[in-house]
Amino acid sequence: MSELETAKRLAWWKRADAKKAVVLWAIFTLVIGYVASTIQTRVMGSAASENMSSTINMIKIFTWAASPVAGLVAALTITTLLGKRHFGDNPPPEAEHEIRNSPKVAATWVVVSTLLCLFAVIYGMVLVQKDENNLRSANSLNIDVTGQQWAWSFNYVDNGGARSADLYLPVDKHVVFHVTSTDVMHSFWIVQMGIKVDANPGYITETATTPNKIGVYDLRCAELCGLYHAYMQKQVHVVSQADYDAWVQSQGGKA
Amino acid sequence: MTTVTNRPAPAGPTAPKKALIERLSIITGLLLGVVGALLCWYLARTFLPVNTDGSYIKTRMDQEVFIAMIGWFVGFMTGMGALIGPFRWLLGKDLTHDENMFYAGKDQGAKRYFRYTTDHKVVGIQYLVITMVVFFVGGVLAMLIRTDLGHKGGNWLQPQTYNTVVGMHGITMVVGAIIMVTGPFGNFIMPIMIGARDMAFPRLNALSFWLVVAAVPPLLSALWLGGIPTGWSAYNPLENQAPPGMDGFIMAICIFAISTMVAGANITATAIKMRAKGMTWNRTPIFIYGVVASVALALPVFPVFFLSQVLSGLDRATGSTFFDVRGGGSPWLYENLFWIMGHPEVYVILIPSLAALMEMAPVFTRRPLFSFNLAIMGIAGISGLSVLVWAHHLYVSGWAPLLNGPFMLTTELISIPTGMLFLVLIGTLWRGRVWITLPTAAIYAVLLNFTIGGITGIYLSDVSADAALHGSLFVTAHFHYTLMGSGLTAAIGAMVYWFPKMTGRMFDKKLGWTAFWITQIGFQITFMGMFMVGLAGQPRRVGAISDFFHQGNVIATAGAYIIMAGMLVLLHGVVVSWVWGVKAPQNPWFAKSLEWSVANPVPLENFAVLPVVTEDVYGYGKAQS
Repeated sequence: MSELETAKRLAWWKRADAKKAVVLWAIFTLVIGYVASTIQTRVMGSAASENMSSTINMIKIFTWAASPVAGLVAALTITTLLGKRHFGDNPPPEAEHEIRNSPKVAATWVVVSTLLCLFAVIYGMVLVQKDENNLRSANSLNIDVTGQQWAWSFNYVDNGGARSADLYLPVDKHVVFHVTSTDVMHSFWIVQMGIKVDANPGYITETATTPNKIGVYDLRCAELCGLYHAYMQKQVHVVSQADYDAWVQSQGGKA
Repeated sequence: MTTVTNRPAPAGPTAPKKALIERLSIITGLLLGVVGALLCWYLARTFLPVNTDGSYIKTRMDQEVFIAMIGWFVGFMTGMGALIGPFRWLLGKDLTHDENMFYAGKDQGAKRYFRYTTDHKVVGIQYLVITMVVFFVGGVLAMLIRTDLGHKGGNWLQPQTYNTVVGMHGITMVVGAIIMVTGPFGNFIMPIMIGARDMAFPRLNALSFWLVVAAVPPLLSALWLGGIPTGWSAYNPLENQAPPGMDGFIMAICIFAISTMVAGANITATAIKMRAKGMTWNRTPIFIYGVVASVALALPVFPVFFLSQVLSGLDRATGSTFFDVRGGGSPWLYENLFWIMGHPEVYVILIPSLAALMEMAPVFTRRPLFSFNLAIMGIAGISGLSVLVWAHHLYVSGWAPLLNGPFMLTTELISIPTGMLFLVLIGTLWRGRVWITLPTAAIYAVLLNFTIGGITGIYLSDVSADAALHGSLFVTAHFHYTLMGSGLTAAIGAMVYWFPKMTGRMFDKKLGWTAFWITQIGFQITFMGMFMVGLAGQPRRVGAISDFFHQGNVIATAGAYIIMAGMLVLLHGVVVSWVWGVKAPQNPWFAKSLEWSVANPVPLENFAVLPVVTEDVYGYGKAQS
């Protein structure tokens, strides 16, 4: 019996390199999943709306779903490096086998990656639907947002047309933003609330959220809009309903 | 123009005076280009009607700039000799045999690199050099960006300068990356690899290269004409607002798009029609598939890029309103046109890079490529899907929110064929005896970087996560992991692999390894830092930032300087190896593909007798011998 056939008879999971790879896979999956998701959630900070917390959550879940994939790639490649390496100017001896394909491995790989992909798509679709419903919810506060080079202006249409340059929002109240621009494209982005929509000249686009934490947050323009794009930032003040009413009245609107 | 009409005297050793065709070179090209530009500019200034409509103040200036640049383009191409052939046809004749041989660079002199030479090997070297020049310029611009953001609060550059630097960095790197594999290796290596004596259309080959050169001065002129403060995506109406530098950008894109289309038609025809006898599709190396997929993908999408810039140029120069909402146009139209090219374009860059890795993997593991069919399915799947994903760049634009779901589906489906290519690479490394060389190192580095780039791409493809991440530095870090960490790393690996055949010398190992480790470590530092500040909410393309982002940006900037050091070592390595390197044997990697069966330096017509292919190109492994 030739050497080749002996090697073939050995079940793949009994091979030394396969064992090594499986151990490394487990370790890498845990390390990558833990380190990446911890850093991501820490860097993204605390969420100021349901949108942002569900986005952070989603990124955490995607990271844990992706870490076995990343871990597998890392484990397999590192195992190949742990095996027979060859240095020098002359080539190594030919490999002991000439495996050209393994339909089983290929099929498993394709099926698993398809399932992971479908998981991501379905999860994403559910969230999109939620955002979509969010936009249609009744009893919400409407605010018109206008971008121009290089400032934002806000029109509180439900509060008798009070206007401001910084954004004020009552806490725990659903808000729909109607966004447009007077000149070039801008992008209306409230960082800690995880919402963003472009401000296009001539069109009105919409996005919605419910701020759920009192505090001061960042509004940034996320679309290059010319000379002072970098400076097109404002503060978003989320205040209690009472404070909001008082502020609106001080701006000449009605609560 | 009149110089072209002179019928050149037959070239030959006894010809007493040089024929016209022998006099033309880059010198006459530049000369005629400048003359053409000045002449057209003067005519435009003198004869264009005075603009009476006060609402479009810049229009007349834009008209003059465009006309001058068309003058440059026509003058340069005429001076290069691109019109000699077509002019002969007009007279019902063609080039003589001697002239064709002269075009092919029969004399083998150094001057042929500066002429309209049709030999694919000359064109390959020309592409390699211009790719490095373009990357050098783009790299300097990248360092300006990182230096600005390394300062506390940024603002080291003036806002207008910063925006222009960002746009120029983007467009130069994109152009460089598009030509980095299919240019040098697609032209030099591919014809030899398939056993051909030259490309299918040698004159088109020279044309595609010199068109790239013709596009450079208009692009660089933007720096003196007010810059391109729009980023490389040049969204309208910002593009319409920009100074005349934008006209240079538009002109450069149009010329470059023509070059890509010409090269695409040429390379596709060559690979389909000119493979050696016996080279069935099953025996065709995977690199050929990669190159053909890349250029064939560019064929339908670059005309769209061309069109988007022509319409933008018309908006600027004639006051038309394709993208101006006040005149019934739509900025969303521009965004769509741009990304219909823009997303396939990243696969135009990536596919040939990954194909080069798949070509090298069997050589350095001494075993066959794992699952050749899966590799082809992967390449075909990516190419097919890539034209259906463009609107994921428009998730938050407000254009057609109903389409977000379908585009999320197509975008995430691309991970399946991409995964196939991963399996092919890993499967080939698995249980092989890995020969540790620089190209091998590139394979490992790309597997790491592309895993990170790919997975972060899945976050971005999700509509609601994109609402948080779109337009942030997270996106920038993501596409640098794919295009630089994967695409460029693979291209550098490919350069080291084919360096012995292209230059006749081995790449200096010590310098190569030093450059590899420095750039890869610097790369991880830079773009990990960029992922962090992106997640924390730093927008892209801003030259001034709040102090909150200082720490992450200092890390990214430090990493960028490390990359710069590594790239300078690499450049040094290229020069040292090219000039003083050890003379390479004919087949230093003991590979089985045809390009290693020809001598160094490669003879003028590659093969004295055209080869016949009788066995598989990946026939490594013990059972074979």
